[in-house]
Amino acid sequence: MSGRGLVIGTAVVLAGLAVAVAIVTHESRPPELNPGGTLTVSDALGGGGAEGYARAVEPRPFQFPEDHGPHPEFRTEWWYWTGNLETEDGRAFGYQFTLFRSALAPEAPQRQSAWGARQVYLGHFTVSDVAAGEFHASERFSRSALELAGASARPFKVWLEDWEAASVGESTWPVRLRAETDEVALELLLEPGKPPVLQGDRGLSQKGPERGNASYYYSMTRMPSRGTVRVEGRTYAVKGESWMDREWSTSALGEDQVGWDWFSLQLSDGSELMYYQLRRKDGSADRFSSGTWVPSAGAESSAPVRVSREDIQLTVLDTWKSPRSGGVYPSRWRLRVEKLGLDLTVTPRLADQELPVSVVYWEGSVGLEGTREGEPLTGQGYVELTGYADTRPRPQGRRASDSGR
Amino acid sequence: MPPSDTPPLVELRDVTKAYAEGDTVREVLSGVQLSLHRGEFVVLLGRSGSGKSTLLNLISGIDVPTRGEVRVDGRNLGSLSERERTLLRRERVGFIFQAFNLLPTLTVEENVRLPLELNGHGAAESGAKARALLERVGLRERARSFPDRLSGGEQQRVAVARALAHAPPLLLADEPTGNLDEATGRQVLDLLEGLTRQGNACALVVTHEPALVSRADRVLSMEGGRLVEREHARREAR
Amino acid sequence: MRRLLVRSSLRHLGGHPWLTALSLLGIALGVAVVVSIDLASGSALRAFERSTDAVAGRATHQVVGGSSGLDERVYRDLRLRRDAPVSAPVVEGHVQAAVGDRRTLTVLGVDPFAEAPFRDYAKGEAVGDVGALLTEPGTVLLSARAAQSLGITSGGELPVRVEGVEKRLRVAGLLTPSDEDTARAVEALVLTDVSTAQEVLGQVGRLTRVDLRIRDEAEAQRLQAALPTGTELVRASARAGTVEQMTRAFRTNLTALSLLALVVGMFLIYNTMTFSVVQRRGLLGRLRAVGITRGELFALVLGEAAVLGAVGTVAGLLLGVLLARGLVGLVTQTFNDLYFVVSVRALALEPFTLAKGLVLGLGATLVAALVPAWEAARSAPVTTMRRSTLEDVSRSRAPRLAVLGLVVLAAGTGMLTWPTQALLPAYGGLFSVLLGSALLVPWVTERLSSVAALPLGSTFGLLGRMAARSVRTSLSRTAVALAALMVAVATTVGVGLMVSSFRGTVVSWLDTSLQADVFISPPSLVARRGGATLVPGLEERLRSTPGVAASSTLRVASARVDGVPTDLLAIDFTRTQARPYRFKEGNPETVWRELESSPDALLVSEPFSFHRRVRVGDTVRLTTDRGPHDFRVVGVYFDYGSDVGTMLMPRTTYERWFDDRGVSGVALYAAPGQDVDALVASVRERAGDSQALLVRANRSLRQASLEVFDRTFTITQVLRLLAIGVAFVGVLSALMSLQLERARELAVLRATGLTPGQLWGLVSLQTGLLGLLAGLFSVPLGMALAYVLVHVINQRSFGWTLRLAVSPETLVQAVLLALVASALAGLYPAWKMARANPALALREE
Repeated sequence: MSGRGLVIGTAVVLAGLAVAVAIVTHESRPPELNPGGTLTVSDALGGGGAEGYARAVEPRPFQFPEDHGPHPEFRTEWWYWTGNLETEDGRAFGYQFTLFRSALAPEAPQRQSAWGARQVYLGHFTVSDVAAGEFHASERFSRSALELAGASARPFKVWLEDWEAASVGESTWPVRLRAETDEVALELLLEPGKPPVLQGDRGLSQKGPERGNASYYYSMTRMPSRGTVRVEGRTYAVKGESWMDREWSTSALGEDQVGWDWFSLQLSDGSELMYYQLRRKDGSADRFSSGTWVPSAGAESSAPVRVSREDIQLTVLDTWKSPRSGGVYPSRWRLRVEKLGLDLTVTPRLADQELPVSVVYWEGSVGLEGTREGEPLTGQGYVELTGYADTRPRPQGRRASDSGR
Repeated sequence: MPPSDTPPLVELRDVTKAYAEGDTVREVLSGVQLSLHRGEFVVLLGRSGSGKSTLLNLISGIDVPTRGEVRVDGRNLGSLSERERTLLRRERVGFIFQAFNLLPTLTVEENVRLPLELNGHGAAESGAKARALLERVGLRERARSFPDRLSGGEQQRVAVARALAHAPPLLLADEPTGNLDEATGRQVLDLLEGLTRQGNACALVVTHEPALVSRADRVLSMEGGRLVEREHARREAR
Repeated sequence: MRRLLVRSSLRHLGGHPWLTALSLLGIALGVAVVVSIDLASGSALRAFERSTDAVAGRATHQVVGGSSGLDERVYRDLRLRRDAPVSAPVVEGHVQAAVGDRRTLTVLGVDPFAEAPFRDYAKGEAVGDVGALLTEPGTVLLSARAAQSLGITSGGELPVRVEGVEKRLRVAGLLTPSDEDTARAVEALVLTDVSTAQEVLGQVGRLTRVDLRIRDEAEAQRLQAALPTGTELVRASARAGTVEQMTRAFRTNLTALSLLALVVGMFLIYNTMTFSVVQRRGLLGRLRAVGITRGELFALVLGEAAVLGAVGTVAGLLLGVLLARGLVGLVTQTFNDLYFVVSVRALALEPFTLAKGLVLGLGATLVAALVPAWEAARSAPVTTMRRSTLEDVSRSRAPRLAVLGLVVLAAGTGMLTWPTQALLPAYGGLFSVLLGSALLVPWVTERLSSVAALPLGSTFGLLGRMAARSVRTSLSRTAVALAALMVAVATTVGVGLMVSSFRGTVVSWLDTSLQADVFISPPSLVARRGGATLVPGLEERLRSTPGVAASSTLRVASARVDGVPTDLLAIDFTRTQARPYRFKEGNPETVWRELESSPDALLVSEPFSFHRRVRVGDTVRLTTDRGPHDFRVVGVYFDYGSDVGTMLMPRTTYERWFDDRGVSGVALYAAPGQDVDALVASVRERAGDSQALLVRANRSLRQASLEVFDRTFTITQVLRLLAIGVAFVGVLSALMSLQLERARELAVLRATGLTPGQLWGLVSLQTGLLGLLAGLFSVPLGMALAYVLVHVINQRSFGWTLRLAVSPETLVQAVLLALVASALAGLYPAWKMARANPALALREE
């Protein structure tokens, strides 16, 4: 009487089956996965070489309103508005509304689908609610196809879906800015104010030693603005002054340049100062850093004055570390221009005006006080600080944020 | 040792057992009266089909009478449930059958241990006890064998050991030597009697063995469904 | 005490290793069949869900259009709205890889700039040149795994076939998701820009849908109100549900068939346990005499069954996984032929399915062991046992069992004729019929074998009479074995007849519906649906082929009926008189007039009418490009091509309500005297190389259709084979145990002077007689099963009217199966008995 054979047989069969199952299920297990990088939309922007695009190599004549419109033969272009606004009773807001155009290829291939595109538009929209201490930022993208995004000079219009800047009537000015997210909305009517100021050498802004490492750059430095800001469900009637920067290029930054600090300051005496300091890898200021002082409208000479790196002494008085990106940004400056008799202290109105978008940077409303040739003055403006944070979002983090809706 | 002084271990009062067989009813036992006491070694004689096995089944509670009362240790089996009768049997009765006595799927030792463990003895205790009993019946060395490896006589010796293992007060044996040669049969009966008397139990043995008749305290015989006590046998035994 | 009993039980099982092994095999096979079907169809469904999830992403709603998607301007307008919801455009379709294993790939055309809120391919991926996706036509991203198995590297070329046209795609980058779920989801995915997807799939200007994330019902309603005519806002979850629903009947049927295998397995267990009880009657009686209670014996036998059940079930689970690995391909093929494109590369080992198999296997074993356990508990505690009295009891019980069987049969019939469409009573009835028939077996066997004794006796003499009589005298065992065999064999008969009936119906349906001489269509990925379109302009060229007397065109589109996507056939009848349809409802004389004169009349197929409870005179609401519209049903036609149902309308009606102008197929009628093969050749010539077309003459399309049909039933055939396997094991174990159990009797015969040859003859006669009886019993029961499957279960699952056709081969096959198995079953016991020393056999027990 022995069940041993049965028990052994059963055990062998079971073991055999188990092994077969292990083999079968193992076999169907695909090869190991390797953790990769991240698909970011920014990869799509600014990639590829410069061949086939026009380059900014020498000064050119600017014509308006044509040059308010797009220059698709260059790879990159932007329409940049910043401004400080105030309600009747003094509640202060800052805003930034930027539309970038970025070409993916110098020429569009012939194709059936209307979705084929070689231009991509990127929009950044922020509102700094100074009183509430809140900073609202959002980003969106779209290809320039199916009228989803685009730009035209006449009539003047730049748009990215329902974010747009467009002439109100037949003539270019006034221009209405319109942008909206779930949290905030902005609607502004911009008058031109002063005429356009050509930056650099008659509008050619050299950014590096290499020929062609330059952009065409003009600004409208003090544009009377009025309209509404909606924050937290409440709409405020506001007035203030905006600054428009227009720049197009194919390649701008050189090898060793890691970022820039850019100031656009509107002084209470009616003059404006623009200065950008290109930063090198070692932290020093690049020699191609440059700026322009625009005298007030009533001054005897209305000609803008170029300001070079040597003319300016810029001292960082304080820093701010972003809890989000870990980047350490300068957050207060002393800015002296001896040849203009300027001595200013520039202070951010909010410490955290960092944009958590696909390329992280700081751009915010600032206030200033100081003296010009001994006379006290105040002012306001915007500062942009790039290259301080890791520009790539961390792998686990949010990728290129959606349009914020 | 006068048996009538103590209350009877088994008492049958006017027991009748009838089986339906087709349309007719056959009375196997009719009006049987019987008392058995501890210490008695009783032989039951009778021809085949005279109702001997039925009597054993009634006493052990396997079967119930058509009429009358069967009492074991004063308890009326008729008033007990099937389960209670089974448990009473488990505790109070040892059984030895004519053949196919042992459980083929258990070893010799396990066969002997079965009644012990059924009555709640631990494995160690019942093992030791079983081995001691096997020693007594001279089969110590066959403890690990299966029954089909044993001769008929050996099997019956194991059966005796098993029937007595838990020291039941009542031992029922149905022709325990029926399948054995004379010498072997006598050996088994010696064992049976010795162990019964030693444990002050009561044994009711169905047999044809004349030698046993002469050793019995009482000799009963079934004749046509009636139980008759042979006075001479008792006298002889005295 | 219990330890000793348990030991005794286990030794008993071990003492009959072959029987125990066979019953283990029976349980294992039964469980394996159920588990494997469950796993295989579950895996196919899961794969589909996963790819649906991957493709649907986190969308809460979708904007969908008519039969040809929606205009891309709908998306643009949506994007430019000031209160625009979060949205993304999607162009989706299927292509077939023209390299490697020619797998089907889902092309997902998206706008990378709108994707972030919806899909996570971006999560942890290494990607090549994304910019190229937008600027270079034909650039795609492919999962690294798919690329590896297709032998393509990043930057390499991926040739694909789309509706018969070969296209070359360039793999710009590889997707290597970091988590397994995403990896599996994107495995069959070709991710590309909307532009490339539109061009590759031939949907320029159209979107398949717009994905949306909508926060609340209010927003949904606002949006719905603002959407243009012909578009509709639907919940994203609706689609996966549709698929689940679409395949439910098919899967339920598979599961029911697999359960039949388990029922056969249960009979095996019942058989084994009954045998082990019957065999041990003496032992059990002695145990009772010694003082074992009934409860203890009952528990003992159930315990034995539980051990067998546990071991067998575990083996069955393992076997089931192996089997599923093989079946998943078949199930996937069937899904692909019938319903939708899905590519399954791996088995989804759902713990729930495995647990279900475990419970089912153990439960079935225990249920099957209940009766034997009860029998065991009933054993009388007797000191001497005579077999004859026991068999007397068995025989006297037979008529009573037969009456009970009739009652169960009546109850089963009642459940089957219950006027409901629910499947549960149908299955209940089916199993009642099986049980009732099994209960009838002892009585019928007794009658039959006493009748058989005469002819057998006159043919084989004493041995013949003995063989016949032994069937009768050991009724307690033979009846059980016979019942098990009958159920097992009848199952195979029933399923076999069902399939052949189905096939017969389809053949005659094809004969009426395929009337044209030449059929032309682009290859389609779902064989039975076929929505691929002809290259524009080709249709007219084909129809005007010389030698064509008449022609019609067919458009297979998908339209939504009450939100459920349904196949809609649009047929151009203007150039032919042929109307190759038969009607279940509606007068064929008037239906066509009504259909062609009214712009809002349509026909529905029988399954459609069944599933949607729509009859002639009712209306169905279709979402058209002109908005939702109610169409009147003027006829219900027979159709065995789709089990979910189709609708049919004239092309003129279709073009009035839908913008789609595609043509999916052309049917040509040859002019009198025109040679069809020559016509096929000239059609091929006229078609040119612009598109790989299937140009088929009537008989070859018929052939191809039947091939598809057969393919969709392969899985059923495999199930039938498995059931046959289980039945075979059943016959073997039942008859073998019967003979082994009679070892003693045979030993006596040997001792009395029977030669080994005579013994072999006797055993063969007995098993042969039993096999024959089982085969014969299984024929009527099998036909009854087929009747139930065809007329009740199939009808209630799919709504099809089928004609039951009894094919003699199936019946002969069944009897042969029983005979062969029984002949084999007799071999081992006869051999063993002939060799054994009779004295030893006599001593045993």
